Amino acid sequence: MNPKTTAATATRDAALWTLRCDRGLSASEQDELSQWLAGDPRHRDAFGEHRRGWDELDRLAGLQTSVQAVPDPDLLAPARNRRLRRFVPIALGLAAAVVLGLGFLRSRAVPDSGPATAAAALALIERRTLSDGSVLELNRGAVVTGRFTAQERRVALERGEAHFKVAHDAARPFMVEAGGVTVRAVGTAFTVQLDPTRVRVLVTEGKVRVDDSAKGQSLLGAAVDGEPPVLSAGQSAVVTLAPTAVSHIGKISATEIATQLAWQPRLLDFTDAPLAEIVGAFNRGNPVRLVLADAALGEMRLSATFRSDNVEGFVHLMESDFGLHAERTGDRQIVLRRAVRP
Amino acid sequence: MPPPDPELALWFAQEVQPHEAALRGWMAARFPAVRDVDDLVQEAYSRLIRTRRTGSIACARAFLFVTARNLALNHLRHQQHERPAGVAEIDPSIVADERPGVPESLARAEDLQVLVRAIEALPERCRQVVTLRKIYGLSQKETAERLGITEPTVEAQGAIGLRKCIEYFRRQGYRLNL
Repeated sequence: MNPKTTAATATRDAALWTLRCDRGLSASEQDELSQWLAGDPRHRDAFGEHRRGWDELDRLAGLQTSVQAVPDPDLLAPARNRRLRRFVPIALGLAAAVVLGLGFLRSRAVPDSGPATAAAALALIERRTLSDGSVLELNRGAVVTGRFTAQERRVALERGEAHFKVAHDAARPFMVEAGGVTVRAVGTAFTVQLDPTRVRVLVTEGKVRVDDSAKGQSLLGAAVDGEPPVLSAGQSAVVTLAPTAVSHIGKISATEIATQLAWQPRLLDFTDAPLAEIVGAFNRGNPVRLVLADAALGEMRLSATFRSDNVEGFVHLMESDFGLHAERTGDRQIVLRRAVRP
Repeated sequence: MPPPDPELALWFAQEVQPHEAALRGWMAARFPAVRDVDDLVQEAYSRLIRTRRTGSIACARAFLFVTARNLALNHLRHQQHERPAGVAEIDPSIVADERPGVPESLARAEDLQVLVRAIEALPERCRQVVTLRKIYGLSQKETAERLGITEPTVEAQGAIGLRKCIEYFRRQGYRLNL
């Protein structure tokens, strides 16, 4: 037999057996596998390599789950298709409801150069300014949908945690619905966290009402002097679900609030900014120092939004999309230069 | 079972241990027949730590759930000497890490890029199968339903995908550490 063919067959079979083992072997398959392994020492090696490779891919488990509420088979489609596809649902969604929770990255005057930009995909931004000027920040995994009318601003937290900084508009109350609990604000800032069993509300500014969505009644207790009870800045409430009831109302210190909100990404948001400025902003907040190899490079302009702590993602993006070459000189310095074109 | 290395221990305390209650709850609900949940959780932890020692993990919670699920299924197979049917699904919403904190992928994703690129380079069907199975932790059956193809096709496409990924790793000189 042609040895080359045998090797190809061995890897093909090894891959198949790996997949079969993963889903569980029947008794007869178990026998068949034993025979196949015993048949040739190369089979055992190939099998071992493919099983390790299959396990190795588990490192990617949960990659970017915050972007997609439902599994997206095309999550890793080559960049060109992916980018296009990603913007379409946003555009459609704007017509009826604001659909939030997607990372975005805008690049201008940049050739859409070939290979996939996984780094860009990892550089998630989860902050949105809504049409009324309210700002929401989504924690990893959060999914929020919204519907604004002339009378009210309604947002549903489908899952996860989000912080809302509400633009003041007395005529249009801002309501966040999460797991059958409605948090109602006029102009304030608060965080809502939805777990399978409870909703947590943390008020950082102003006041909110916390109501049972179905009954429309306050969950915080009876009205005082005809005024519904409210949760004020520095207070948090935990509402257990099924049955919906407040289990805990507490006061928390400014330090605790800061800790609770520590997940909120610090964002660097640039529109048509020179690269020198962007690099400067990164360097102010990070131990790693970015250096531009030549001054002309600093004049390159781009629009992008990044987490300030995501230097690696930024460097990757510069390499994959902007044709730069990154060289690590020492463990705290990265030099960016134009890649030499062959 | 805190690992000895202080950096790893800190990571374990912050990124892994907070998920234990959710993991146990989910195991109890999904695999009532598994008696040694403690053993499986410990085993999942060991694999997680081994994997983390040799490179990055995109999401500790997802990795933990997928690993525990696989261990539980193996365990059941041995217990019952047959293939348990239809208990492999993981609800993606439970796997999503919704705790506060910077995902590790943002800080240390560099070595994950080889894995990402290997999948990106696959033919479309293979890529979809590998993505659903490995990134979203779907079972073969769920993947088949999701893509509207048969289970044997998912298996065959998954095998082709795996073989091509291995070829990619070899070309890139990527070492399989596990």
